[in-house]
Amino acid sequence: MRVLILTSGVPFTRGGAEILAESLRDAVCAAGHQAEIVTLPFQSCPPSRVPEQMLACRLLDVTESCGMRIDRVIGLKFPAYLVPHPNKVIWMLHQHRTAYEFWDHPAAGDLIHYPDGQVVREAIHRADCTLLPEAKAIYTLSRNVSDRLRRCSGIDAEPLYNPPANALLFHNGPAGDYLFFPSRINSVKRQWLVIQALALCREPVRVYFAGEADNPAQQAECAKAQRELGLTNQVTWLGVVSEEQKCEWYANSLGVVFPPLDEDYGYVTLEAMLSSKPVITCADSGGPLEFVVHQHTGLVADASPQSLAGAMDALWADRRRAAALGEAGRERYLDLKISWENVVDKLLC
Amino acid sequence: MLKINWFSPLPPAHSGIAYYAAQILPVLANRHEVVAWTDQGQVAPELERTARVVRYDPANPPWRALNDADVSIYHLGNHGGIHGGIWRVSRQHPGIVVLHDLCLHDFFAMVFLRILEKPDAYLAALERWYGEEGRRVGEAFLAGGIGAETMGQRYPLTREAVSGALGVITHSRGALEGLHETPASPVAALDFPYAATEESRYLGWMAARSVAPGPPYRLVVFGYLSRNRRLGALLEALAGLDEREQFRLEICGQLWDEGHIRTQIERLGLGSLVKLLGFLPESLVEQKLSTADLAINLRYPSMGEASLSQLQFWDYGLPTLVTRTGWYASLPDDATAFVRPEHEVEDIQSHLRALLADPGAFRAMGERGRQSLENNDPEKYVDAMTQFAAIALRRSPLVTALALAGRVGNDLSAWLHPAASAYLLDRASQEIVTIWPGKPRGYP
Repeated sequence: MRVLILTSGVPFTRGGAEILAESLRDAVCAAGHQAEIVTLPFQSCPPSRVPEQMLACRLLDVTESCGMRIDRVIGLKFPAYLVPHPNKVIWMLHQHRTAYEFWDHPAAGDLIHYPDGQVVREAIHRADCTLLPEAKAIYTLSRNVSDRLRRCSGIDAEPLYNPPANALLFHNGPAGDYLFFPSRINSVKRQWLVIQALALCREPVRVYFAGEADNPAQQAECAKAQRELGLTNQVTWLGVVSEEQKCEWYANSLGVVFPPLDEDYGYVTLEAMLSSKPVITCADSGGPLEFVVHQHTGLVADASPQSLAGAMDALWADRRRAAALGEAGRERYLDLKISWENVVDKLLC
Repeated sequence: MLKINWFSPLPPAHSGIAYYAAQILPVLANRHEVVAWTDQGQVAPELERTARVVRYDPANPPWRALNDADVSIYHLGNHGGIHGGIWRVSRQHPGIVVLHDLCLHDFFAMVFLRILEKPDAYLAALERWYGEEGRRVGEAFLAGGIGAETMGQRYPLTREAVSGALGVITHSRGALEGLHETPASPVAALDFPYAATEESRYLGWMAARSVAPGPPYRLVVFGYLSRNRRLGALLEALAGLDEREQFRLEICGQLWDEGHIRTQIERLGLGSLVKLLGFLPESLVEQKLSTADLAINLRYPSMGEASLSQLQFWDYGLPTLVTRTGWYASLPDDATAFVRPEHEVEDIQSHLRALLADPGAFRAMGERGRQSLENNDPEKYVDAMTQFAAIALRRSPLVTALALAGRVGNDLSAWLHPAASAYLLDRASQEIVTIWPGKPRGYP
């Protein structure tokens, strides 16, 4: 089969979606097919640009290339998943989130700040409802994304879990004296919440943050909070780390703290489970809640500094229990039989 | 229940639309969550008890807060100073536009030329809707070669006010089509709302009127008295009437050119029959209307929209003379007496003679007008407005589709010969209709 993976991206940025597309391409090729990624540039501001890009997607013809038929198209992201094709399958990473669950989010909302935000939001809703059903099948990245799709667009879709990149590299190691939080630094991942929680911890909890800030202001805000709360020794900013280094930081941590707001899926959770580490997350964190079972594979706190501090203290104070939760997490991961083979089978079926 | 942003002049502004808002907002706020946005300095305290009143700066509107509502409702009339700020928000944040005037040339002339001082924008608007001819006449208007009245009639620029709106409400059926200014968005013509005074008070007025029947018969003219209110023709008709001593005319309201009217009264020898009373306080309005015998409510040319004063006259059970034009032409024959624009003096005189001959028939005409106010119940109006808002919101992706079609067309025309762009336009149109199904009004 000749398979085209269609996704959208913001030029000069790279994140989980790009890694996922590449992993999918590799997995399709490993299954004996030809696969390529087509990434369409996407610009969400000003909102009037969004319908233009939706139309541009609709005007693309990807049914063939140099006279050779393209057998299957896999759409991943808005608006690339709107490109028409008779054998299109959608594996939705998410819809355009600021038109949906992040519409009025104080930090993440963007459309809502523009005069034409409301009509563009409505246009996106209508287009999703009208055009998504064109696909032969719709899968999503997680149950959380499926739930949102059903709630917002009335469309049912099966969640299809995939392993994180470099899954084989993750391993367990001796538990050190820190909790690990690897992620892009921004308001939605909520590093700020962890910093506020640290200020309330009774135990001498330390957190190592890895990853780059989406913009310098967000990093500066976190650093300022750290200074103001007197957390010089409890917080370490590792910056960008390699995949190998990341695996080591996981392996040598006591556990992982990952409290994002309504995460689509959350590779961090899976990486922690593969590293046999317990995960602390929040009740509104979305995707991680599909894997973290409270008091079994980790701890689920309320999204408040007090509650999160209590969970971090609890893990810090009982290292044996932390290890047991981490082991249970790894077993749960294996039980779920998450594999690229399964993903490819479904998407090319 | 809807969350509604409401933009209109509010009391105590001297505007019929502010009066309209004072009637509608309590009913609307009873059923929906309403925020009344205003850039006025002062708002009547009683209104603030009815709906939440919030100030905004038209140059820097609070988009985040406006986007919290389900729909914005903008009220536009022909006064650039009063409605300019509302229009500036409406053109950026699509909502439902309620047209209180249908010829908006004067409005745009004031906004573009006097307030924003952008003559290029004025000419561009004329060109947008009337092509090269629009630009040419606009230039002639700027040079003083064409009058505002002609521009208003031939180039009303109404589409400039409703372009990109989710929906348009008028109070005059078929009026936009008549002007050839039909927008692409849904249009509803609603009966202008008016809360009739309670029956007991009305009966009191009727009784008072019959206690002191004419002659002399009391004629009244009310409102903002611009050139189109035909005072010249009325004075001429009265002067030419042999029975003129059997009438008294009171002109109440601000005159567009008081000196001119005074001169005319003097020239026609009507000094003892005609009084200019200026703008009257509310208490005197009641006194005048409850004792008058006939209201003269002429408009020519008409700006097309419903007249609050007409409904007020009917509220008092007053018979009225109206011009057979615009909204007035749609009024019931048995509740009004019509004046043909081309036979004004002749028709006015004929009606005044008819009043002398059969005052009872005129009283009955006023009573039928009063009965017709049932159609103007504000509760019914809010029902209709709510239903229309639901339709307009359902069709809101149309705004995006039309804007996109416009941008595609503009872009292609910049670099592609029309013959070569046909295929692309067709493809783009097909896809736009696929993404957002549904057709705008007036499109094949």
